Amino acid sequence: MNNRNQVVSSDPSVLVQFANRRSALRALMIPAGAAVLSGCSSVTRLAEEPAPAISDAEVGRMRRDASGVRTFKNYVLYDQDGRKLYFHDDLIRGQIFAAGFGYAKCQGICGRISGNLVEASGMLGGLMGNPVRFYTFSLAQDSPADMREAMEIRGILGKPGWKYLTGSPEAIRYVRCSFGFFDSGKEDTLGTPATHTGMIRFGHHSLDKWSSCPGLGTPTSIASSVGWLLPPDRRPEFARMNRNVPNSARAIPGWTPSKPLLAQV
Amino acid sequence: MLSKTSSSPVVSRRRFLGGTAVAAGSLSVLSKQASAQVTVPVQVNFGSPATTPWVWPLAFARHAVPLPAWEALDPPVIPADHQRYDEFAPVKFYDMSVTEILSRPHPELAESLVMAYQGSVPGVTFINHYGEPVLCRIRNDLPLELNGIGSPDIITHVHNGHHASESDGYPGYWFSPGSFRDHHWPMIYAGGDWREAKGTLWYHDHRMDYTAQNTYRGLAGFFLLFDHLDSGNENDPNHEAFRLPSGVPDGPRWRGCYDIPLIFTDRRYDANGVLVMDVMNMDGHLGDKYLVNGRVQPYFEVERRKYRFRLLDGGPSRFYNFWLSNGMTFHHIANDGNMLPHPIETDHVQLGVSERADIVVDFSQVPDGVNELYLVNREMQIQGAKPEGVLLSYADSNQLIKFIISPERNVVDHSRVPANFRPLPEMDTPVVRTRNIAFDRKNGMWTVNGRIFDNDRADVTFKQGTAEIWNISSSGGWAHPVHIHMEENRILSYNGKPVDSGILHCRKDVFTLYPGDEMKLYIRFRDWTGRYVMHCHNTIHEDHAMMVRIDVVP
Repeated sequence: MNNRNQVVSSDPSVLVQFANRRSALRALMIPAGAAVLSGCSSVTRLAEEPAPAISDAEVGRMRRDASGVRTFKNYVLYDQDGRKLYFHDDLIRGQIFAAGFGYAKCQGICGRISGNLVEASGMLGGLMGNPVRFYTFSLAQDSPADMREAMEIRGILGKPGWKYLTGSPEAIRYVRCSFGFFDSGKEDTLGTPATHTGMIRFGHHSLDKWSSCPGLGTPTSIASSVGWLLPPDRRPEFARMNRNVPNSARAIPGWTPSKPLLAQV
Repeated sequence: MLSKTSSSPVVSRRRFLGGTAVAAGSLSVLSKQASAQVTVPVQVNFGSPATTPWVWPLAFARHAVPLPAWEALDPPVIPADHQRYDEFAPVKFYDMSVTEILSRPHPELAESLVMAYQGSVPGVTFINHYGEPVLCRIRNDLPLELNGIGSPDIITHVHNGHHASESDGYPGYWFSPGSFRDHHWPMIYAGGDWREAKGTLWYHDHRMDYTAQNTYRGLAGFFLLFDHLDSGNENDPNHEAFRLPSGVPDGPRWRGCYDIPLIFTDRRYDANGVLVMDVMNMDGHLGDKYLVNGRVQPYFEVERRKYRFRLLDGGPSRFYNFWLSNGMTFHHIANDGNMLPHPIETDHVQLGVSERADIVVDFSQVPDGVNELYLVNREMQIQGAKPEGVLLSYADSNQLIKFIISPERNVVDHSRVPANFRPLPEMDTPVVRTRNIAFDRKNGMWTVNGRIFDNDRADVTFKQGTAEIWNISSSGGWAHPVHIHMEENRILSYNGKPVDSGILHCRKDVFTLYPGDEMKLYIRFRDWTGRYVMHCHNTIHEDHAMMVRIDVVP
């Protein structure tokens, strides 16, 4: 059995999971504003979200694979081109990424965060030939068309490595909670568009390195956070040790890197 | 075989193999612990494997060993790098290496790869004396590849050491493997005032954004200061000296030692017994294994006499309420590394992360025939954000250390608990301004006065040698132990009520703001200039930028 979430129906046009038959039937009534993609299976506004029976903490509960590296469930998501992607296999596995949350019509913090991310991505360039991915996860079940429009406004449509992603409320909730963006006891606050989280999640999956910083911080702090996911000798110059500080650290003469005591994953 | 229910996440049955507690199991353990009916959501992670308590003895780090007099640091120190270096020319030199080691906290858990100061977790214990300035070289000998928890970059902070900025461990001054940095610890009283002496400090990594991960992965140790009064000699011929229980254990040499540092850390282990941390957690990390000096639930053989225990909440996030299992009282003699003006007889001590308390327990008060006693934690905490404010019953408490008390009554004990320690210094530096510092949260991001932390921006510019009043406050549902570097300070009022007695009246460097709290503080920065920080010491919050940069200027 593979690790992918099961779809309820074998019908390829039914792309998401539904809590019950009633919500599945409701989803077939495409509400106004839902996009139908050309050349792709249809994506509808999604079924009513079942009342959360479990906490955000439980939803985002840490999972690790057999070698101990963090792993995630393979919820189905769609990018701005309507491409169907699996969360773990296509977005996480083997990737270096910076991920935030927002929605296409956001008039609040999303624009500024986007600007910071764009500037940070400029500082990072190609990063050792392995481009950093920048993800935005939609908290409002945006359609691909809305997402493309938002990307165009922010000047990131068509940029390699940039993805705007949408999915079912359950899928997006899982992404947000597995990234730790929830406040215990205030369920959904950081996932509600009006109060959504502005934190950025950084990940280097193959090194099992994870960090986070505020999206409203400076582009330098965001770019540095990506750089710090890498071993010190593989970082871009600006993310290396700063020698322009008082009592700056000095090189140990004749130092050679020690071999790790255990094999690294 | 994957199973799926309609509204719960897909759960792999494979995870359940190996007998680890699963989500439901974790909840039942927690509900057994909680005597009160609590309905707040719990932070659920998989539970650590079961371990048998009291199978290993309490362990102690070795003392840090200074270089012999004939040996000089190579490459030499650059005096111009350090403020007032010639004025406080070092007489003691250390050369310490940070490496990775394998460490096992319990025979039923695995060896985990951790980071260590001088090969020791907790790190080697510094024993330093006022008037004997120190220069410590710290080399980063970690490997370049250190996957999983932590960063191989380090910067060492002596928690509340009265040190110049370039030696204080400012988070942005981290350095990578293959480099070293020299720290000048002048061993002077703040303002030259003997009443500002400190005792139980600790040192730990402070690398920006990775402090929680690096300290969790081993980088913490004790830093003890002595002077002519707190001299570390219970037989001190100087009758002015406190003559508290003395003798700090040095690794395996602990018998006949009665000055006992104890660092409490809670950790979590996977099904294989390997150290694990949910680094995505933003509220605070709670472990389900209670370690003391790096070992899970150790026992400690004690004699029927007085002991000085230096309690340190080493985090990452948990609050503690320490009691002895028979409810006996003890003397609380120091808080946050500072002797109190007078000892306080009490039956419990509450600590937030990075707070310390020195207590003197007199085991001669334990009745004959009673040969076991436990140090327990009765603070109920089921979410990283804050404790519940509930006192657990003894039956539900976390048992931390088992004291095995020798039945021998004929014990020599010349130690004392004097009636007076150090008077509080006057707050006589004129106040030049008042600041309001409001910790808040916007869109899941910590803010201070509405701004996000920026390493390249000073939030406070403070004129050296002056005093200010700071009104600090916190909103939201978190408890924040707020720590200010470089100097101790004083609480003038707490939630509007003047503070004129008790522990809160004494010198402190950690100010715990429970949800909605506010405090008025008297703040001074003397002797040094440069960058410092104030931050929440829930290390998870700290790493997500709940921090303020303070520039002390001439």
